[in-house]
Amino acid sequence: MVEADSFLHLARPLGPAAVGSQPTTAPLNVIIQPQAIFSILDHSLRRNADQERVIGTLLGVRSEDGQEVEIRNCFAVGHTETQEQVEVDMEYQKQMLGLHLKANPKEVLVGWYATSAELNTFSALIQNFYGGQGDGTWPHPAVHLTISTDAGKEIEARTYISAPVGVTAERAADSAAFTPVPHEIRYGEAEKSGLELISGAKDNNDRTANVLTDIESLEKAIEEVLAMLERVSKYVEAVIEEEAPPSSALGQFLLDALALAPKVDPEDVERDFNNHIQDVLVVSYLANTIRTQIDLSNRLATAALTMGTGDGLGGAQTNGTASEGNQRGQRGGRSQRGGGGRATES
Amino acid sequence: MADTIKDAPLKAVQLEALVVMKIIKHCSQTFPTTATGFLVGMDKAANLEITNSFPFPTVEVPPTDGHHDNNAASNLAAAAPRAKANASYQNEMIKKLREVNVDANNTGWYTSANLGNFVNLNMIENQHFYQKELNERTVALIHDVSRSSQGSLSLRAFRLSPSFMIAYKEAKFTTESLQKSNLRYQDILLELPVQIHNSHLLTSFLHSMPSPVPSAEAQESQPPTIASLAKTPDPLSPNFSSLNLSIDPFLTQTTDLLLESIETHHTELNNYQYYQRQLAREQTKITAWQAKRKSENASRALAKQTPLPEDEWQRLFKLPQEPGRLDTLLNSRQVEQYARQVDGFAAGVTGKMFAVRGNLLPGAGEP
Repeated sequence: MVEADSFLHLARPLGPAAVGSQPTTAPLNVIIQPQAIFSILDHSLRRNADQERVIGTLLGVRSEDGQEVEIRNCFAVGHTETQEQVEVDMEYQKQMLGLHLKANPKEVLVGWYATSAELNTFSALIQNFYGGQGDGTWPHPAVHLTISTDAGKEIEARTYISAPVGVTAERAADSAAFTPVPHEIRYGEAEKSGLELISGAKDNNDRTANVLTDIESLEKAIEEVLAMLERVSKYVEAVIEEEAPPSSALGQFLLDALALAPKVDPEDVERDFNNHIQDVLVVSYLANTIRTQIDLSNRLATAALTMGTGDGLGGAQTNGTASEGNQRGQRGGRSQRGGGGRATES
Repeated sequence: MADTIKDAPLKAVQLEALVVMKIIKHCSQTFPTTATGFLVGMDKAANLEITNSFPFPTVEVPPTDGHHDNNAASNLAAAAPRAKANASYQNEMIKKLREVNVDANNTGWYTSANLGNFVNLNMIENQHFYQKELNERTVALIHDVSRSSQGSLSLRAFRLSPSFMIAYKEAKFTTESLQKSNLRYQDILLELPVQIHNSHLLTSFLHSMPSPVPSAEAQESQPPTIASLAKTPDPLSPNFSSLNLSIDPFLTQTTDLLLESIETHHTELNNYQYYQRQLAREQTKITAWQAKRKSENASRALAKQTPLPEDEWQRLFKLPQEPGRLDTLLNSRQVEQYARQVDGFAAGVTGKMFAVRGNLLPGAGEP
């Protein structure tokens, strides 16, 4: 993985094509959301047998000053590449972009991706198309993301922006100076639970994982905390025994962490504990009572008729008793309602 | 595909990691407005593999006052899967996806939910539409945004049961028909187990992400300052939000939702009682009429006149329509869903609470 701060930021050199209407030269910071990468990897798996790499369009949002680009989404675009020429399905790209914009009006075109780390003449050609005026990202630079998917090697992501080079306009069209820009894979709180589950499958042979229930995930989290504590205390012991080199930074970090433990009055703890546990149990009890009542009411509504009195009048009477049962159930439900309200207020 | 395979009931749903991420992104972006989208993939015997998804187009709602606006957008989005306008979008998208070798068969739709409030008419209608019109082997995926933010991902797959499909087709939910078909509210939805599946490439990618235990060489090097420690990237797992102790928001919201359900139940019951009163009134009128006609006929018989027909009451009196019980059924299913959810929550939370008390007050738990 490319370290985020190992880059030298350079203003892009400007070529002859941009004179007069200069596009922004600001260095960029690229943030990639995991679903974009997942989607690219998926596309790479679905490429035609004879294709070396596949390309696609990146969608995302740009910060107001254009300094930061967040890649949120992407879609595949078909293309064919031979020794002499490259053909990208522009019509497809345009239509697909339109479809995506309908569903996600906030996401705009930010660049393109390829699934090989190699940059060649065709890359420059495609890059110039994506960064161009009209349908491209102009005046912002187009971001080019490469994800190497060679078998047996690490998956590596790199991001670039480009500057036009070339003496004549014809030469400039198929050449570009790619400048690497730092990138970062970032995910939000909401995605965390999903990623946890997905990464839970990475050590399984069949690459699958089941969706966990509440209690299972709690168990997992506790086990992990215990393992971490174990590891830390082992390390501390090793330092005390002078087997491992001490580190003042780590020591201070651990001390800070320990200082976070709250100092509370035992009585307060006891009181809060009792209040909350009662809330939980009462709500759980009430919810189940309501469920039973409603179940009962449903059963009564249909069960009364199974006794099957023939004529309509008899049926109506039995219906009457059923609805009385319903009403009783309802009354029960309502009296608990007050209870439920109280429980949450406390 | 051979008929034998077609007929085998679906047993499980297998989700690609990509779909999980896409759904989470879409649902949490639009939250609390409902988000809906389309699922594609293919079915392999009893296993439904969902390999890709895309959201339905958003509909611009003219801005009105805040809360109302939100509801309108939600309703539109909730109805989106069966909206006519989206069918062409769907077809177009499927066509496009097929061009880039995606398994673009219709496998269902997804929607977001808030604390399990997904059992409603909209969801039933959507799923019915999918199972009936498009492809029998489709599922509804429910992603519960609020519950997922508490730690463990909540993603569930549902289908309508065959018996419910028949009942819904006839659109008859009277007491009599329910009794005949023996349909209970527990039988409306069938839940299918959900599995997450990663591709080989993805597995390899995940292994290159930071893991909770740093590699040996990382442990060798000493962190120079505390600041550099804080900068270490977060690993994908573990996720400690499931250790969070905030109980009150969940409880208040769930009780609110339960109250709403009881309210609905009450309204339904009132409707039904009104119907019964009407029915009883009509019935007494009919009996009175019948008795009158009988005595009239008796006197006519005595006078040697031809008796008047006795079944004219069917024309004279109109029996009130019985209100449908579908809403009641769905509501009951919804309450059951809430109750189960509370159970699960209580189980986890009591454990956590006792653990906290045990930690803060050592020895207090023992008698």
